[in-house]
Amino acid sequence: MKEFITDIVKYLKLSDASVREGLNHELYVNLAGYEFRNTMELLSKEFSLIAVFCVQNFNGHDGFTLFYAFEQKGRYEVVVFQRPLSSFQATSVADLFPSASWYEREINDGFGIEFTDAFDKRRLFLHEVYPPDFHPLLKAFRNHPIETRKDIMPEQEYRFNEFAGEGVYQIPVGPVHAGIIEPGHFRFSVIGETIFNLEIRMFYKHRGVEKLAEGKTPLECVPVAESISGDETAANATAFCVAVEKISGIDVPPRAWQLRTVFLELERIYSHLGDMAGMITDVAYPVGASNFYILREEILRQNSAITGSRFLKNIVAIGGLKHDVAIGALVGLLKYLKTFPASLKDALDLAYRSPWVIDRLETTGIIEKRLIDPLHITGPAARASGVDTDTRIDHPYGIYSHLPLQKHVLEKGDVMCRFAVKAAEIMDSVQIINDLLIEGIKQGEVFASTRVRDGYALGVVESPRGQTMHWVYIKNGLIDRYKVRTASYCNWRAIEHAIQGNIVPDFPLINKSLNLSYAGTDL
Amino acid sequence: MNSFMLYSILNTAFVLLVSPLFISLIKKTKAYTQGRRGPSLFQTYYLIVKLMKKEVIYSSNSSIIMRITPYLNITFMLAASLFVPLLFIPASSPGIGNIFLFLYLLVAAKFFMALAGLDAGSTFGGMGSSREMTLSAVIEPVVIIVFATLAFVFRTMNMHEMFTQSLGTSILVNPPVLLISLSLFIILIVETSRIPVDNPETHLELTMVHEAMILELSGSNLALMELSHAIKQTLLMGLLINILMPWGLAREPGLVNIGVAAAMFIMKGVILAIIVGLFESSVAKMRLFRLPALFMQAFFLAFVTILFELLNRL
Repeated sequence: MKEFITDIVKYLKLSDASVREGLNHELYVNLAGYEFRNTMELLSKEFSLIAVFCVQNFNGHDGFTLFYAFEQKGRYEVVVFQRPLSSFQATSVADLFPSASWYEREINDGFGIEFTDAFDKRRLFLHEVYPPDFHPLLKAFRNHPIETRKDIMPEQEYRFNEFAGEGVYQIPVGPVHAGIIEPGHFRFSVIGETIFNLEIRMFYKHRGVEKLAEGKTPLECVPVAESISGDETAANATAFCVAVEKISGIDVPPRAWQLRTVFLELERIYSHLGDMAGMITDVAYPVGASNFYILREEILRQNSAITGSRFLKNIVAIGGLKHDVAIGALVGLLKYLKTFPASLKDALDLAYRSPWVIDRLETTGIIEKRLIDPLHITGPAARASGVDTDTRIDHPYGIYSHLPLQKHVLEKGDVMCRFAVKAAEIMDSVQIINDLLIEGIKQGEVFASTRVRDGYALGVVESPRGQTMHWVYIKNGLIDRYKVRTASYCNWRAIEHAIQGNIVPDFPLINKSLNLSYAGTDL
Repeated sequence: MNSFMLYSILNTAFVLLVSPLFISLIKKTKAYTQGRRGPSLFQTYYLIVKLMKKEVIYSSNSSIIMRITPYLNITFMLAASLFVPLLFIPASSPGIGNIFLFLYLLVAAKFFMALAGLDAGSTFGGMGSSREMTLSAVIEPVVIIVFATLAFVFRTMNMHEMFTQSLGTSILVNPPVLLISLSLFIILIVETSRIPVDNPETHLELTMVHEAMILELSGSNLALMELSHAIKQTLLMGLLINILMPWGLAREPGLVNIGVAAAMFIMKGVILAIIVGLFESSVAKMRLFRLPALFMQAFFLAFVTILFELLNRL
């Protein structure tokens, strides 16, 4: 940590006083008084942007403070730059960090802060129906239903990028789809069947999670974190609890962390199995897919036997776990996992043996390596494109620093690679759970305490889809600001790039190979 | 003439009766291969009855095409059904049985379906029609070659005469028929929009071909389209069955003859439907632009059949 501080101070020519240590292996750098653009330009050479968020009335500063969270390859610590604002205007960094564009539009919607030189100033999560002066994240706004606009003039409508030319036409798809899936709008620009541009519009079911959390006690907020995305319950709950525990100085008992790790890995297993089943279904090979569906269902039943919830709800708590897990259920899981690798191998063999399937998966939907960092694409999608990133190893939490983890990195970045990376990760997760269960989960308490203190901290966790970040700010025992950034939020833009040059009927497959959560984006 | 009336009534009624069964049976087979139980064998009958009772809704952009297409489709299919005797082979009557007329009755139905897909102006309908026409442009010459091969092998363009001949001989003495049957099987798969060409079970509107064209249809119109599709499948199955394994098909009408023929056809149809279901389960959908490779296999087999037949005759 000390060494990293020295390096940063030297690299950015800061004064020592502007850097301070956070509570969960993060550094906070106050940029008040520094040339903002220069610093960002320097950062863009060595660091990657994790998230940008805004806080009103942070630590006595009357007004807005922008937070820019960065990570650097090989560094455990996350660096968070603080930029206090004195007005409703800010400088855009989207030209340096393309991933910042969505964050800036989001802050513009939430707080009414204008990023003066941004290349894209369209609204993001507030659709046309919301009045122009509606900024729900302002402290002055009390959470209540508002009057939405009934008549929307053509000039008030959201403007998609327009393309023209001979044979060019646009295909609008969604937000209502033919299957039972979540809402999202996809605007394809195509020539014949070949897609040359895709624009994705989300936030059709924005629930105001961040506003909902404000004014709640951290204890009340755990179910909110669990509801962010149904199939990432354990990951989101853990990220939130880690942040609160670090703020409050709670030491989570080892048994609780071991069990949390079991849940997190079970979640990864069933999510990946669902993704793989989906990929095989989307190439219309239901026989191959059914094996993965069966395995996923068996894991869900194990979840239910261990925690009482198929989707691991209501078990992770601030300070440990809500309740202990019965030894019989763990023995049952261990017994089941003995037969699991062979079943998975059979399922994989069936898929890999079909040249029809291989032909569909290979060279489809390539995500280029050069896009991973600028767009902050994360999780299996990044690893399948040749980038060795994994939050469990890069920013370990809980007991992950003691586990023999490895990153599965493949180079090509197509659907096949994402399929293979997920398969390999399932086997790893099984191994992790197996090792934990065989070595014996430590006896003892699963719960320390829920005495909550004021403060702020970051919780970063690797969910099945990739890096998930929660930032919690507690004031007077209540949540004052809760910022969540899931892996789905980052990876939607990966699809926009992966699809280029592919044909329309391959879109569902490419979409499924990332299988992003709409709910996890529409916070 | 009386005997032809009898044929028309019996054959049409039989086709209408058994077609939904084969659709359900394929679904059931596929479900079993996936470890599921699948729908009841009567599900397609229920579906058609249900749709018949439902309200018909037209898009405000749609024209007369949308309204007449379902009726045209079922008419074309029922007319085509006269060409494929499933119970007994009638005395020849002019025009009925010409194999190319049969092909173009099917194509005419497809043409109107593609128009209906475009008619409502929805994105997916247009996409489905465009894909269907693209594929048709490739599959149609192949079908012509395959049918021409049949005509060449049997030395007649009348399907009824072909079936009479195949009834008289065994495939063992006429091996080219085996080869051409493979081509007919591929045509059956392609023309009924099955995997690997199209996925009848998909909910993914972006990948659809056949389903996309009928997305805008509802109620009894949709029921007629579903029924037409089922009939088309039975006719192509009937063509393959009558060429490859015609046993049981009656030469003369008669109560016992027809009873035996009906039982035999259902049995053979069940076997073929199960084979189609197993075939569909064993492959994945091909990339759209690789489909011509599959069609070319049918073309190649037809070509080889012609070669064999030529050698035979030398």
